[in-house]
Amino acid sequence: MTHARPLLDWPLSARLGVLVIGTVLALVAAVRLGAVSLSMSAVVDALAGRGDPATLIIVRELRLPRALQAALVGGALAVSGATFQALLRNPLAEPYTLGVSSGAAAGAVAMVVTGWASRLMWALPVGAFVGAVASMLLVFRIAFRVGGSRSLDTRVLLLAGVVVTAFLVALVWLVLTFADTESVRSAIFWMMGSDAGASWRGVGILAACFVPALIVLCALGRSLNLLSIGEATAAHLGTSVEATKIAAFGTATLLTAAAVAVSGTIGFVGLIVPHAIRLLWGSDHRGLLPCAALAGAVFLAAADTLARYVAGANELPIGVVTALIGVPCFVWLLRRPVTR
Amino acid sequence: MFFEVRRLGIIAALAGAACVADSPQAATTSRAIVVVDDAGDTVQLAAPARRAISLIPSATETIIALGAVDRLVGRTRYDVAPQVEELPSVGGGIDPSFEAIVALRPDLVIGWDSDKRRTTRLKLGALGIPVFSLRTQDTADVFHGIGSLGRLFGRDSAAAALVGSIRAKIVGVRAAVAGLPTRRVLFVVYPDPPMTVGHDTFIDELIGTAGGSSIFSESPKPWPTVTMEEIIRRNPDLIILPQGEFTANALSQFRQRPGWRDLTAVRNGSVATVPADLTQRPGANIGDGAIALEFAIHPELRHTGARR
Repeated sequence: MTHARPLLDWPLSARLGVLVIGTVLALVAAVRLGAVSLSMSAVVDALAGRGDPATLIIVRELRLPRALQAALVGGALAVSGATFQALLRNPLAEPYTLGVSSGAAAGAVAMVVTGWASRLMWALPVGAFVGAVASMLLVFRIAFRVGGSRSLDTRVLLLAGVVVTAFLVALVWLVLTFADTESVRSAIFWMMGSDAGASWRGVGILAACFVPALIVLCALGRSLNLLSIGEATAAHLGTSVEATKIAAFGTATLLTAAAVAVSGTIGFVGLIVPHAIRLLWGSDHRGLLPCAALAGAVFLAAADTLARYVAGANELPIGVVTALIGVPCFVWLLRRPVTR
Repeated sequence: MFFEVRRLGIIAALAGAACVADSPQAATTSRAIVVVDDAGDTVQLAAPARRAISLIPSATETIIALGAVDRLVGRTRYDVAPQVEELPSVGGGIDPSFEAIVALRPDLVIGWDSDKRRTTRLKLGALGIPVFSLRTQDTADVFHGIGSLGRLFGRDSAAAALVGSIRAKIVGVRAAVAGLPTRRVLFVVYPDPPMTVGHDTFIDELIGTAGGSSIFSESPKPWPTVTMEEIIRRNPDLIILPQGEFTANALSQFRQRPGWRDLTAVRNGSVATVPADLTQRPGANIGDGAIALEFAIHPELRHTGARR
């Protein structure tokens, strides 16, 4: 995507090493900081299972699962975003481009408005996941129908994603127009995204989706390199273009759907983190995908910590933090002189 | 209103349990309290709450009115009651900081039944903190809620007295307006887009008590957004503006607003104000809210000097 030379010419092991250290530091900060101030020793004791019950709960049941969920969601969105940008050969592509977020919102709103969300604890995440997957299938069906052949035209796919998103967003607001005030407010809180509801079970489910998805996408790294140049080139060089596209789109979309199901739609991570990694270290997907996953984890875990910390008990919306911190950092990365 | 007028509704105290626990011999054998909340969940306390957090400002005011403010250990950023000003804030009522709540070691949290996501209930419930979900929509919810809060805080007789005094005020208002013509009222929750009160809300009921009738009373939505065209067509006799919650409702601003300034009632000066503190929070204040509405709808009664 970015064809200028990367800022830094580091071996992959050094990049991954720095990002793993960054992830650990972000998680430590996330467990250390919050609305309630706890000393480092109290946090360490609580992690080891010692200390007073309230501190134990804060560290082990609130901060730790929330930090891990934020890291997993950030990693999932960043690696999906990098994949979508390569497949669609479009720098504006992100995990939500093919209708996943609007489908998830439609599913979540349906659960809120029908009252299922307040009766069954899993209704909201399951509704969001099913909505996300259903809208993805709809987008692909339209793309195949309109494309008129067995091959998937990514330009048609992109347009299908845009129009399905527009349609579902309209549907969501149509339903909310006739919904009661409480449902509207609950739906808007969901759409703003948050990791406040994180639980160990959610973290486990998300991790069980994240690890295999990351392995599949990284294994497709070479094919994605070729596809991001052009489909004809990729085919000439021996890539099975259609199979690669289906596998990569499917994996990235399911991963995004899982992330959105637990945290709502958190924007910006999936768009900007892959670009930042390309600017820093180049666009070879074999390195880009694992680096983007780790960088997304660092970014969202840190952003969620700030959201919980800077205004005390008044939590900031996570999207506010990701954009306010992320945009200046990204502009700073962009401002280097363009040399060839 | 968006944060406040949530339905306060409350709880069906297990009717039988309430009677038994009130009798002296039961009280000596067990202080355990079992109440079913508005979401249908059973909330069980070993003893009356001693370290509670109310996420609902109207419930906070009811708890203060029950003389149990010393049992509160936290508040939300939306609470305006001076009695809880010094307590630590746990953030918003719908999106509180869970760790701030846990750090206060509460034995009871009063939460919004209207939060359709259940996040607060699920999260705190999983951590072993009882959450009592409260509905606050109509006056029946308010009376029920006062009774439930009375049970949860071991203040049953104070709750009965509070319910009695509110009912007495409402009966007084109803008697004062008896025989007077019913005025057709538009209660303005928010002016742009116009939001008013619909069916089965405590404000709609209190307007009826106070000798008025809301022109959107038939709306099935509790807080309907309506069009200016429909307001003009229904042509209310009187506009009621609650003051003190939204600056857009300030009388001087309101009279200048396009659309509103052309209404017959506004041109005739038939715009009455009521304190938002009395009419916007479905709790201990609704008796005074009924009186404020009576004077707004029938200003001639203000000078009779018979009551208050």
